[in-house]
Order: sequence, then structure tokens, then C-alpha cells
Amino acid sequence: MVIDVQIASLFTAVALIIIGIFAAAFLDNLIKKVIGLAFIGDGVNLFLIAMGYKPGGIVYIYLPGMAAEWFSQNAAYPLPFAMVLTSIVIGASTMAVMLGIIIVLYKKRGSLSAKEILGE
Amino acid sequence: MNLLIPLMVIVPILCALFLNLLHKKDRTIKTIAIVLALLLPALPILANYGLHYFGGYAPLIENPTLSNNLPSLITGTALNTFHPAITYSFQSAQKIFVFILGLVGLLAIFTSLYETRRPSGVYGYMMFMGIAALTAILLTDDIFNLYVFFEIAALATVGIVLVSNVKGNYETALKYMILGSIAAPLLLLGIALLLGVTGNVNITDIIYSLKNGLVNPQNPVLLMACGLIVFGWLYGSGLPPFHTIKSAIYSKALPSGAALIQAFSVFTFVALGIIILRIFSYLPFSQWVILGASLLAMILGITMAIVQTDIKRMIGFLAVGELGYIGIGLGLGTAFGITAGLFQAVNEAIITAFLFIGFGTVLYQTRVSDTRKLGGMMARNPLVALLVLLAGFAMAGVPPLNAFQSKLMLIQASINAGFPELGVIMILLSIVTFMTFMKAFHAVFLRPKPAELELKNEDMPKATIIALLVFLAVCIVFGLFPQVVTTYLQPLATSLTGGIV
Repeated sequence: MVIDVQIASLFTAVALIIIGIFAAAFLDNLIKKVIGLAFIGDGVNLFLIAMGYKPGGIVYIYLPGMAAEWFSQNAAYPLPFAMVLTSIVIGASTMAVMLGIIIVLYKKRGSLSAKEILGE
Repeated sequence: MNLLIPLMVIVPILCALFLNLLHKKDRTIKTIAIVLALLLPALPILANYGLHYFGGYAPLIENPTLSNNLPSLITGTALNTFHPAITYSFQSAQKIFVFILGLVGLLAIFTSLYETRRPSGVYGYMMFMGIAALTAILLTDDIFNLYVFFEIAALATVGIVLVSNVKGNYETALKYMILGSIAAPLLLLGIALLLGVTGNVNITDIIYSLKNGLVNPQNPVLLMACGLIVFGWLYGSGLPPFHTIKSAIYSKALPSGAALIQAFSVFTFVALGIIILRIFSYLPFSQWVILGASLLAMILGITMAIVQTDIKRMIGFLAVGELGYIGIGLGLGTAFGITAGLFQAVNEAIITAFLFIGFGTVLYQTRVSDTRKLGGMMARNPLVALLVLLAGFAMAGVPPLNAFQSKLMLIQASINAGFPELGVIMILLSIVTFMTFMKAFHAVFLRPKPAELELKNEDMPKATIIALLVFLAVCIVFGLFPQVVTTYLQPLATSLTGGIV
């Protein structure tokens, strides 16, 4: 049985989000928490990409000679891809700040335990 | 096209970058930051109402030259009216919100520059960047653009806390970021679902699709999108269950930073609340979700403020409680109620900043924020004590100050809408707010000075006194002449009551 690529991607995205929330909520190591948070962001990005996927679609660049109707029926929808690019940049900067804070806290406390540092 | 509309966002971003470049050049930073900050409230006053399309890409319907050359496949459908570019909408309500945000920003920057011996370019950078992000959140008609600036505002908030150098700031900032890294992607997921159903991220276009039957409004995916966007709204504005971390964030920032961060929370609350009302008001439970979250914020925020011994934490919880009043106005769903709620938002942004900077004078002089260790500050600075007292009166809704007018309007609106119980709860919680404030005021200003309390700074900077006097003047003017604000807010409130607008 061949699984539809889009459906498989959507399920993977949901799985990533659930694993990420679990890691962020229940793991004690701060680095593992951050990895879990990255999973959540990646899951949402994959969800967006899966939404923009079009089986057999073409790149959304309108070239001379293309019939407008053919192009509109075959080109993938570009908006989700543009959004994902922005989302990746935001996710990277958020993660950089979080890891920076964790480095400072590790130097101060000598631990990466969320229970010890954040009192959870 | 009015170029001042994008400049309201671009100018603070450029100011932020410029101040960061001047890091360690203290005197230059001081002069330039004040001059640049003056632009913040000035730009919304000078700008004309209208729309700004980034890149100049107006909807096809507004561009006949282009649309005449396109096939009817495009021009004959709804695509003709859709917005291809990120659109900023500047109307009367945005004018007053951006002006108040700019004013709070100006006074917070002004105070911070004179309360620190070595003004930090990085601190200025964070403040300006946060103001730019919130201005964009208020102006944008594109929900993904809103998400981007929502994240920038969260990073600027964390930056302000990190630069503040208050004990425990790193731990609180990390907690805030961990929660934000769950809430913000879920908000993005809500936006993705909206995009999946409607094919759009422009809010006006999404509403057009729902109103004209291009999309089935009863699609269950839209319910899920609504839930996820509401979750992002709760996080961004610090409503329960995020009220504890939000008040902790206020307490770990310098008073000037806390004054600005609370304004971020208020305007995030308003901007996302308006979007929820615009898109999802056709869902019968949306009104109850807003009312329920707001009621919970009011009760939890104000009751938790009573037991606080840290001044900044107490004001933080009071600020969360006051957000509830705004939400009650929005949730009532009537034009009068929404006007009252938006007026309360304007008042709260000013009053809470007034209180943070007012009580901040005590922190400046003593370096102590625990009310159990404070006392006798009235004798040290009677003028500041009077100003702080008036700020507390304003928050509790004592006439003739501004929150009296907005809270009275909210009570009238709740009675008119058939919810007199809400009016009773609001009156009772205003009394509790007054008691909480007076307890803290007594502990800090009226009680005899403890022997072990030392003054680290004898004199108050004149800039702080000037900032407090400006806040008081605004409170009195808005209290005596509420129509100065409400006339700007009524058009938006009226449009929101028409269901899908």
C-alpha cells in the first residue's frame, strides 16, 4: 500500500509536535528541553510544507510561453514555503537566545537540571 | 500612499540598530535616544489614515492597468479583490494605540537614560525593537506578519529582562522562552490551519472568504485554528495560565523596562483580541471564551496581587487583573462594551507604566523591592509619594482619573448587555485593587523607616519626576475628557459588532 506523501507528512508533523511537547514538559535536562522545543517548531514547519505540496506540481515561477490556465492548475502554492523560511529564521534566533541563557546558567550553577535551575 | 505608515515601524527599528552601534558611547546614546524617542508619539499624530501595501502591490481591483492585461481566470474571481502584499491599516483606533505606545516608550526610555549612570545601547536597542514590533502588530492586516512581530516582541521582552541585571532574571527569562517556544509555534499552527482552509493570511481576505461562502465557516478545522490562536493570545498577553510567568517577567526587569513590557502585553491583548473577534465572532462560543479568560484573569490577577510582598510582582499581578477588564469589554460584543474595553486598554497602558515608574523611584533610592523591608519614603520624597498615590487611585478607578471613566463605561455596558453580575464583580475587584495598592503604599511610604534600610541614592533624577507628571497629566485629561479617546475608538468598535467584518 502506498501512503500519500502529504498525509504521511502531516502525520509526521503531528508526531514531531507531540514528541516535542512531551520533551519540553517532562524531560529534566535543559538541552533536551530545547531539542524538544525545536521539534515543535520543525513539526509546524513540516505541516506548512505539507500543505503547500502538490503532487506532480511545478515550481511557482511563471515563464514566458506558459499558458496561464495550465500554470494556475499545476504550480504549487508558494505562500507556505515563504512562511516556512521566515519561521526557520525565527526559530533559529529563539533557540540561539535560549542556548545562550543556558550557557550562562550552567556557568553560574554548574548544572543543566531544570528542577535545580528553574525550580520545576 | 502614506509613507508615514510603514515609517512608524521602520523608524524604531533603525533607532534600535543605531543605538546598538553606539554601544559604550554613553553621552551620545543619551542625546540621540531622546531625540529619536520623540519621534515615536509624533509619527502617529502626523500620519494620515489609510492602507499601505508593501512593495506597492495593491489589489487588482485598484490597479486597472494591470488587471486589463490579465486573463479573466484571475480577474473574474475573488482574486481580483485579494491583497497580494503585506498590508498595514492605519485607522483612528490604531492612531490612538500607536500614540499611547509611543508615549509610554518615550517616557520609559527617558526615565531609563537618567536612572542609569552608564546608559546601555543594548537596553535602548531592546526597547526600540519591542516598540517597533508592537507597532507592527497593531498595524498589520496580515496574520503571519503579526506572528513574526509577535516573536520579535517576545525576544525584545526577554532582552529587556536579560539586560536589566536583576537577581534571577536569567532563570525567569528562560522559563518565559520555554513557554513561548511552545505557545508561539502553536499560534503558527493555528495560522497554518487558517491558511489551509482559506488559502490566505490576509485577515480581510480571510473574512471575505468566510462572508462570501468561498469557505464553509462551520469547517471544524476553523474551530481548531481558533483554539490555537486563542492559546497564543493567552500567552502573548499573560492571561491565565501564563499570568504567573508574566508577572515574574515584570518583576525581573528594571521599572522602565517593566513599564514598557506591560504596554506590550496590553497591546498584544488588544491586537489579537480584535483579530479573534473579526474572524471568529460568528462562532457562538468565541464570546464566552473571551469573557471566561478575562474573568479568570481579573479574579486570579487581583487576588494574587494581595499576597505579594515584592512591589513589582504586585503591580504585575494587578496589571494582569486589569487586562481582564479590557477582555470583558471585548467579550460583551456590543459597540459600547468594545469601546469601553479599548478605552480601558489605553488607560491601563498608561496607569501601569505610571505605577511601575512611580514605585521604581523607591527601588532607585533603596535598591529594595520587598515591602516588608521598606518604609518612611514619604518623608524622603513627598512629591513622588503623592504622584504614586494618584497612580494607585487611577488604577482603582477613583474619579476624576481616566480608569474611572472606562470602568464606569464597562459597568454600564455589562448591565446593558444583560450581564449585571459582571458589573458587580468589576466593582468588587476595583475595591480589592484599591485595598491592595493602599496596603503597599502604606508599607512603602507611610510606615516608619526601618533602621536597617539604607538609601543608596539620595536625589531623584528630574527626568523621572517629569515622566510621572506627564503620566498624571494624561490620566487627568483622559479622565475629564474621555471623548478625546473614545471618538477614535468608536469606529472600530462599531465595525466589530457587525459579525464578520
